[in-house]
Amino acid sequence: MQNAECGVRTYGGDSAIRNPWLPAGRRTPHSIMNDRVVITGLGVVSSIGVGREAFWENCLHGISGIKPVQRFDVSPYRSRWGAELPEIDFKAFIKPVNLRRMDRIGKIVVSAVRLALDDSGLDLKEANPSRIGISIGTGLGSSDTVDQFFRSLLKEGPTGAAPLLFQTAVPNAITSHCAIEYGIKGVNITFSHKESSTEMAMAFAYHLLREGKGDVILAGGGDELSEPLYHVYSMLGALSPGRGKGPEGMRPFSQDRNGIVLGEGSGILVLERLEHAKERGAKIYAEMAGIGLSGSTDGLLRYDLKGDSIARAMTSAAKELGTVDYISAAANSTPDLDRAEAFAIKQVFKKRTKEISVSSIKSMLGEFDGSGGIRACSVTFSLYYGMVPPTIGTSHLDPECDLNVVLGQSRKAEIRSALLNSCSNGGSNISLWFKRYDPEE
Amino acid sequence: MRRRVVITGLGVVSAVGNSLPEFWNSLVEGREGTKEITVFDPSAYRTRIAAEVSHLGPEAHFSKKEIRRLSRCDRFGLIAFREAWKSAHLDQDSCDKDRAGVVLGAGSGGILSVEKYFRNLYREGKKSSPSLLISYSLATTTDHIAIESGLKGPRSTTATVCSSSCTSIGVAYEMIQMGLADVMVTGGSDSLCEVSYSGFSSLKLVDPESCKPFDKRRQGLVIGEGAGILILEELEHALRREAPIHAEFLGYGICADAYHLTAPEPNGEGVERVIRIALAHAGIRPEDVDTINAHGTATPFNDIAETRGIKRAFGERAKEIPISGIKSMIGHCLGSAGGIEAVATVMTLKTGIIPPTIHYEVPDPLCDLNYTPNRSMQRDVRIALSNSFAFGGNNACLAFGKFNPNSKCRMRNAE
Repeated sequence: MQNAECGVRTYGGDSAIRNPWLPAGRRTPHSIMNDRVVITGLGVVSSIGVGREAFWENCLHGISGIKPVQRFDVSPYRSRWGAELPEIDFKAFIKPVNLRRMDRIGKIVVSAVRLALDDSGLDLKEANPSRIGISIGTGLGSSDTVDQFFRSLLKEGPTGAAPLLFQTAVPNAITSHCAIEYGIKGVNITFSHKESSTEMAMAFAYHLLREGKGDVILAGGGDELSEPLYHVYSMLGALSPGRGKGPEGMRPFSQDRNGIVLGEGSGILVLERLEHAKERGAKIYAEMAGIGLSGSTDGLLRYDLKGDSIARAMTSAAKELGTVDYISAAANSTPDLDRAEAFAIKQVFKKRTKEISVSSIKSMLGEFDGSGGIRACSVTFSLYYGMVPPTIGTSHLDPECDLNVVLGQSRKAEIRSALLNSCSNGGSNISLWFKRYDPEE
Repeated sequence: MRRRVVITGLGVVSAVGNSLPEFWNSLVEGREGTKEITVFDPSAYRTRIAAEVSHLGPEAHFSKKEIRRLSRCDRFGLIAFREAWKSAHLDQDSCDKDRAGVVLGAGSGGILSVEKYFRNLYREGKKSSPSLLISYSLATTTDHIAIESGLKGPRSTTATVCSSSCTSIGVAYEMIQMGLADVMVTGGSDSLCEVSYSGFSSLKLVDPESCKPFDKRRQGLVIGEGAGILILEELEHALRREAPIHAEFLGYGICADAYHLTAPEPNGEGVERVIRIALAHAGIRPEDVDTINAHGTATPFNDIAETRGIKRAFGERAKEIPISGIKSMIGHCLGSAGGIEAVATVMTLKTGIIPPTIHYEVPDPLCDLNYTPNRSMQRDVRIALSNSFAFGGNNACLAFGKFNPNSKCRMRNAE
């Protein structure tokens, strides 16, 4: 069909086709939809607790998940510690027919999704499966499976290559497991970008929901601690105790920090269009209200050195900077990152800096690429219950990190809105902005 | 208001050409890139072929120090990126680097280097240089590109393997829609490695002779490698700096089959749905589509499911739409397949040439569409789709349109 006025075909028109990405009965083009996005369910599988209650209680009490590594032999390394998950009976969360096809990280993430869905009270049988999506971030996905596959390939040649291992070894297998387990047919995407993988998954889900490209998106992700991963981090010199003084341990913002301790786990948020959540009378924990993404270019294994990129991400995420009362920091006990983030916070909040509570719960969970899901759950709880979890392990702040860091014990605080920061080495910085849910707004 | 997004730069490294003109010529002439594998020793395998990139000469592109640090995947990505960046005149024009970002798709990334490290470690107990381990993360190529050109906008990497770089283009588009960027580098890069080769081989999905999409004799895919990079740019930004505009990005779709870990949903329901989502998002009707760049992996099941899906989406008209399966020439480039195929789709819009599906001799009654057999075709192409599907039923579809410089019409959104 030609449009005489401008000589090109007009797109769309009266006989426009049904758009599976738009809510039923909705006539507004999604370009001008600006739905609010709320959090209606949380699922946590962490080293300090499986399930949201256990996690949150331990988080507030400053219980650490960091212990000597049990799952593999760490004697070849200088480091000994990791934050491993407890033994989990996955049969309680996953259908047996699907369970046998999953590797460990698959089981971990699918369990977190189960917990999140149960918490949200969403009835999957009632919902339109094409309007439920999943967006997962994972730094290394099935690193253990890839390693097993590769070892048997080396040992036995091509005949040693196990098809079942291969199909679970791809990073998006995790997302596929979730889609298959719950029959979720909407958006399906997997991100893998170091420490900002999960934050990207949540940011993307947020944008799609705002545009109405789904009613519910399960967003978050996770990672597992595996021997090859431990080996790689150790060889690249990232693990505590590194070359620094002081004992092994995770001490974000501390004067005597000396590298990271690896962790594992998964956190999933049920993100939902406000309208949809209201229609089904869902419990609303908080609102997700903004995202900011930026890059820094200081080197492949370097964080943002000057902090200006982190500052840009925060400013573009928090549309009302004046209401930010809490920041869940990306600080991971690496001097470069801790200082850059502290500098960025001071640059953005200037005189208000001291009024803003800051904590890094990585001090309890350890550092891992897919930590964003659990950290986002923690921020959501903070907004909902008005409590700020502590940064443990740190007693004396680095003078360059002179922020209002919540040390040792949790703190009660009225939080109007909060930022979740993530910074990857290589330079992808993402900030997510969460608000207390206000039905009157 | 929705922002219009155009493609202003293209770059390719592939088995049939290491630059855009070479690559496009080969596709138009139906040349094939399949050859005996050299990047690892294939002698123990049932099949020994792949669409491997050759004659790249890294010394011409990188310093010695860079060559030591860059994985094969990084090199492909950087070379294709430089071509795309230059062709978009972004090396000369200034752009706000804070508003220029990179979102690439990854498959196995630089795992070829990591394999080397762990092979030495597990076989001989020898620790090699840790620089081989830098490629352990799939994000490495993305970071290399951003760091080389100082791009400080949004950055991420999608990891849905066979559909990664198709999805990444959708994500890059959304970055511009969100108002976070004016220019986005997108597409993907991937290199051959033993892990993915042996994996596909163990699933008995590799054809020992050649890749024959939609042909009755097809036995599976031929693994390929390379990079396909596109520069997406907000229209006003591109017009302001008088950038070359190759085509307009109209919309995309992503969805899931939720069916099986490796097999596609056999009736093509997921394929139909993703095409419908892309069309609706682009605001176009099925009858507007002039050509489709198929996923066409030449595995027995994919080609049937894709054919069924296309029929479900387009009805009777499906048989009239020329479809090309360029994996018959460039192989299945996994993490970069969607990027390279998007580049080919944009070139189709620009030149009006639809590249062929080669090795097509014996029709399969279950695949009964017009696959542009063996010879390319000249057509007036205004709107083209590019499909990519991945393991686990992860479907993606992109819609591109010819850019009309005289058009003052904004695209109207369908519902």
